Amino acid sequence: MSNVNPMGWRLQISGTFLVIGLLIEAICLFSSKPIAFVLFVAIGGVFLLAGVTVFLFSLVSTPPHG
Amino acid sequence: MPSGTTLIVILVLFSAALIGVLVARPGVTATRGGKILAFLVLFFLPILCGAMGISSEMERSKTTAFCLSCHTMGAYGKSLHVDDPSHISAAHFQNHRVPAEEACYTCHTDYAMFGTLKVKLDGLRHVYIYYLGTPPAPENIKLYEPYNNRECLHCHLGARSFEEGATHTADPATLPAIKSNQLSCLSSGCHDVVHDISHLKNAKFWKEKN
Repeated sequence: MSNVNPMGWRLQISGTFLVIGLLIEAICLFSSKPIAFVLFVAIGGVFLLAGVTVFLFSLVSTPPHG
Repeated sequence: MPSGTTLIVILVLFSAALIGVLVARPGVTATRGGKILAFLVLFFLPILCGAMGISSEMERSKTTAFCLSCHTMGAYGKSLHVDDPSHISAAHFQNHRVPAEEACYTCHTDYAMFGTLKVKLDGLRHVYIYYLGTPPAPENIKLYEPYNNRECLHCHLGARSFEEGATHTADPATLPAIKSNQLSCLSSGCHDVVHDISHLKNAKFWKEKN
């Protein structure tokens, strides 16, 4: 089997979005200001959604082995 | 920070670290076990973290401290400590007729279907005005719509002091009018001193004993 994983680069994009989203969420959870709530949902949430969407897209767009 | 929030932060950071490993070594997903790990780490954990975080943030957004963290609300927070039982918000706060840690939310939420969502959307509007617009002076802040008796009746309906109160029962038409929101609790000359922040300068304040 080749070492090159066809899903690899999509997973990296997905993972990068998710890490950014999760770090934003972690920072926002430390603050009790209303702006933190907005950033949590509007920026952290968007990155998480984008990451999960890219991951799901990578699953359906990868050609089956064989 | 509450312990529940600390646990969520730990879970979020743990998830981010696992995702970081997958990003650095995407080759691990070539195996069956790696694919299962990728599903858990790139799908399940982020959704779990997002859901738990939203739940935590929603709970925190109900707290009195959260509402009073904008300085525009400072005078309203101060009005909760006025030493005068005719100040309805102060009397409710000081006597724990509403939970002191969620005093603003308890009276200013909307006890109807999707009420919490509606007030949170209003809250987003407040944040927008606070950061990007021109916030009005505290004494010029008005409710979006007249205060609905439904919010008072959420607790007082059925209570002896409400149902059998001398003023409420003096005229048989009074209670039905209150219950149908025809006669406002707050603006009919009955319980009309609420925050009254324009007179705080001369007010006497209650000091909470620790």
